[in-house]
Parts: sequence; structure tokens; C-alpha cells
Amino acid sequence: MEENGIVELTRDEIVEMIERGAKHRLNMSARQLVEAYRSGRLENPGAVADLLAFASLLLESDPLFVPA
Amino acid sequence: MSLPERDTLLAEVRSLTEAYKAGGPPAADAFRELTHLLLRLTVLAPEGGVRLFSGPRGRPEFVLGGWRGHHDPLPLTDGRYLRLTVRLYVAPVEELSRLKVASSSSQYQLDREGDRWVFRYDYLRNPPDPHPSAHVQVRANLVEDCLPRDVTLQRIHFPTARVSLEAVIRLLADQFGTPCHKPPEVWRPVLAETERTFLEIAHRPLGGPER
Repeated sequence: MEENGIVELTRDEIVEMIERGAKHRLNMSARQLVEAYRSGRLENPGAVADLLAFASLLLESDPLFVPA
Repeated sequence: MSLPERDTLLAEVRSLTEAYKAGGPPAADAFRELTHLLLRLTVLAPEGGVRLFSGPRGRPEFVLGGWRGHHDPLPLTDGRYLRLTVRLYVAPVEELSRLKVASSSSQYQLDREGDRWVFRYDYLRNPPDPHPSAHVQVRANLVEDCLPRDVTLQRIHFPTARVSLEAVIRLLADQFGTPCHKPPEVWRPVLAETERTFLEIAHRPLGGPER
């Protein structure tokens, strides 16, 4: 949905985008990507800087951020 | 050179700069409009553009990215791409709300997917890893054999100061030969104007972790 020139993304749209990008670039899931990044274990965060930026639009309580 | 056109553009970018510096709800859109204007004058292909995205967290947090999709790289006039991603948030500063950059990334790449990237400038205000907050990476081979075992040049994070979008545009135009829409007599003063403000207010990180 677009309002005042700002596109509002749903949680599902964001997660689907991160899943797709993480799989293609690093062969990992969205959850694995977020976990690796937050623990400082992601070797090359710049390669997925766009995915991490969009992950920051999710609520802190999002299931994606809950450790498996 | 069209002096009236240059002067009109300078007035426009000054106005947009003041709007994003003023903070409040319109700041993010002024930042988007300014970014779009700088790119449109220079290396952005006609079908390209930048857009702001928000999500479940709400309006204090935005991501600036490509026009046609969530993480769409910007098409350039040389047929290549710039994957530009800027994470923005609004923070209270002395009873006002200011627009801040949490992270930014500018990657020059030959293909839409980014598998064939060339260089990338990253900035992360609070990095969780030991890499420098602001750095550049280059996907290339070193002439000399001097890297640690199993480390390739593209994995080396060379520390930098904050690198502006204006500097990346100049790098593309002047050194990679990416064509610009307007002559340098028009775009150089405009980029200098906006970059000056950026350098005055930009957060300046250390070149690595403190502990």
C-alpha cells in the first residue's frame, strides 16, 4: 500500500523478500541470516545490507528474531 | 552552460536540504526527493527512481531503496546498476525530531541480482561485528600474494570516513565513465552544495570497534 509516497510493506512481504535474498546470496534462511548478523557471526554483512535494512522494519517481537 | 538552470537547481537542493535537516514528518520525504534529484541529474537511467518503504514498526523507521521493488537496484545510464539502500529513523534531539541514518550501502554492480558486483561502500552506525563502521570492499584480485590463507580481496573491509552519495556519483561519472544527464557545469556545483551539508552533520565513526 502506498501513502504519501511511502510504500507500507506487510510483515509477509518483508519476510518473503529476506527469505528469497538470503537463500540466493548466502544459501541460508531469513532466520539464520538475522541470527548470524545479530550475534556478529555474519562474515560479510554488506553483501546483504539491503535485506538487513528491510529486516529492521519488522517489530522487535517478530518471530524472525526469536532464536530457534 | 545554463546558469539559470544551475541556479534553480541550487535553490531546489538548498530547500530540500533545509527540509530534511529540520526533521519532523516531512524530513524523510525531503531526503528521498533530494536523493532522487541528485541521481536524476547524473547517472540514473530514465526509468529509475528511489522510494521510501516502511513496515510493521511504523513511520519513525524507513528504508530508501529502488523504485520498482523492495530491493530493486537503481538502473544506471551505462546499463549497470547501483544497489542503494539507506536505513533512516527519526530520533528526538533537544526537543526536536531529527532524521538519522542507521545504515547505508552503495554497491555498483553489472547485473540486477548483484552477483557481479564491483565495489561497495557500507556504513553502519552500530555494527555488531568487528568490521569498521564505514568501509569499502572491492571485488577483484590482488596483484601481490599477501592475504591470509583462504581470504580473498573482496572479504577485506578497508576503513573509510563516511562516503557520501555525491562521492559515489562522482566516482561513477569521472572514473567509471557512467554518462550523466546534465553537463558537469550543472551537476558539480549541485553535488558540492549538498555534500558540504552532509559532511557538516554526518556521524563520524571510529575506524573500528572500541573494545
